Amino acid sequence: MSPLTTLTLAGSRAPYVVLSKSSSFLSTNTSTLPVTLTQRRHYAAPARGKGDVVARQGFKGKGKGQGPDGVPVKREKKLGAFLPLPAASLHHSLFKTDPLNELKLPLYRPEHLTTHSIGTAMQFVMSKNDAALKFGLPKSMLLEFRILSKPCSVVRDVTVKAVDKLDEASQKSSFETRVVFTGSPGCGKSFALLQSVEYCASRDWIVLYVPRGINLVNSTSSYTYDLRTQTYLQPAFSFQTLQRFLSVNQDKLQSLKTITEVPLERRAPIPVGTPLTDLIAAGLREQSVAPTVLSALLEQLGKQEAYPVLLAIDDFQALYCQSRYRDPHYAHIKSYHLSVPRLLLDYASGSKTFARGAVFGALSTCSTDFQLPLELREALAIPHDRSSGPYVKRSSILQWYSRGLQALPVPDQMSVQEAAALFEIWMKDGAFVGLPNDDAFMSKYAESSGNARQFVWKGLLASLAS
Amino acid sequence: MVHVLGIQLPDRELARYALTHIYGVGHKTAHRICARLLIHDTCRVADLSPGQISSLAAFLSSPSTAPAVPRFPLALPRFQPPSPSTPMREIQTKVAHLIKGRNAAPPPSKVHPLPRGGRDPLPSLKIETDLRREVRENIAHQRMIGSYVGKRHAMGLPVRGQNTQSNASTARKLNRIDRFG
Repeated sequence: MSPLTTLTLAGSRAPYVVLSKSSSFLSTNTSTLPVTLTQRRHYAAPARGKGDVVARQGFKGKGKGQGPDGVPVKREKKLGAFLPLPAASLHHSLFKTDPLNELKLPLYRPEHLTTHSIGTAMQFVMSKNDAALKFGLPKSMLLEFRILSKPCSVVRDVTVKAVDKLDEASQKSSFETRVVFTGSPGCGKSFALLQSVEYCASRDWIVLYVPRGINLVNSTSSYTYDLRTQTYLQPAFSFQTLQRFLSVNQDKLQSLKTITEVPLERRAPIPVGTPLTDLIAAGLREQSVAPTVLSALLEQLGKQEAYPVLLAIDDFQALYCQSRYRDPHYAHIKSYHLSVPRLLLDYASGSKTFARGAVFGALSTCSTDFQLPLELREALAIPHDRSSGPYVKRSSILQWYSRGLQALPVPDQMSVQEAAALFEIWMKDGAFVGLPNDDAFMSKYAESSGNARQFVWKGLLASLAS
Repeated sequence: MVHVLGIQLPDRELARYALTHIYGVGHKTAHRICARLLIHDTCRVADLSPGQISSLAAFLSSPSTAPAVPRFPLALPRFQPPSPSTPMREIQTKVAHLIKGRNAAPPPSKVHPLPRGGRDPLPSLKIETDLRREVRENIAHQRMIGSYVGKRHAMGLPVRGQNTQSNASTARKLNRIDRFG
């Protein structure tokens, strides 16, 4: 038996305790041993002795990681400092949530969204095929929802405005409702967009939500040139989008059928009257056909009038920036020369439309690599702190793609009522350290100037009060 | 594990950085090679398709004789693509005049004499044995003409004016006439 035996707790990923059988702790009669438990942490690693084999650093890559005899040495896996155990293995009552203090909030349902509910915190109904679960969320929002016990948000004035616009848009072409949430960093644009998505999903709209528009242009998925469309196709991204779209909207898509014949490359065309789920299945069978199927699917959805369609894009400004993709001559590929951004830009600019529906976008200031370009800024009438006179070059193509967009500004400052609802969420979840009284609330509200992100992250979660 | 010209590229590494295992390919050249083969920045070596691997091997086996990449046309906003069922031959015939005219490199402008991003290093790329041979030949030439550089290589001492009173151990270990032999 080896001198050290490691005990791994059932279901955990890493060893937490070590059974030590070193002679300093135990008697010579090893058969009836009471073994001592020594907790090992990464900073208390045992000192290396002569017998230990140390991997070579190597010179210019030669012999790196090999022992004296040339055999590769296995690196001992480092124990992380705070590796979480899976929830299934937390059996102790200490880890069970207190049912009395569980966060109880009204559900985010369409009938609750009125002007009277402004300043009310509501919990999202996360069904099995919820849009937020299947399509994903922006990173900052994902982190917040992981910290909170339940995904929730506060109904604001801009939420009600967006809901009213969506109610009007449900009977009109998407050409007339192309809205972009604008505002200062951290004011709640992504949350407003998510609230719009959840509202539409609960109202039986067909929803296509792109939570991280930056992933379309930051060279993280495969791309290939297509001579027919004269653009660079993104088969992997199109494939994933089709998969997620199908899982979110399957029940509605089963009742919809193709209105026109859908031709595909190198295979038989999809005939008229085919359920749209079968059209998507054709794209899921082979990744190379996915971009064509995605484009055809949106075209068919644009022609039908049974369900309104919402196209929601976060990081909207990334569609108007130069992408990180490079062509074979090492020049940057423009975003409108990539298949998926081009498709989204076509619907955002109104050159392609849905018979019933809307296009919603939300700007993001998180990434400095993809900042708001001048053409989009001017289209949305957002004031610029730099000089942008007539001598600054503007792309006519981006101006064409940004025509007709309407800005829906999210207020920089939350109202006291909205901030109080937000404060209550975090207070009830046990995140606020200190006495949660009016004094604490007003001081955090004043420190953050009512900015939602500053209020939560710099105010509530970063409090030093004890 | 992917083998390219006898060099093992680890599967888990990003292709863009795995190519730097090849002698003569640094980070910038590797990025250019990835762009030429349409490999995105976060592609792992294990995710490379067989076509991409064979293109990579074909290019690296002889970079100077690799065919020039044509400049393909890119769609304007109002471009309506033909139907997907259109035969590829028909599409190629239609756009042939667009591709042919762009095969040559763009003419250098007066304002920017170099193309954006600098000259393309790939046509003149030398790797592995070719590069080692070139280095050996350069050192041998320096020795043949009796230059200071040649003498220092022959003596196994630093060549570029470094201190020898201390710290010349790398030069003593590596500098010689038949370096990389």
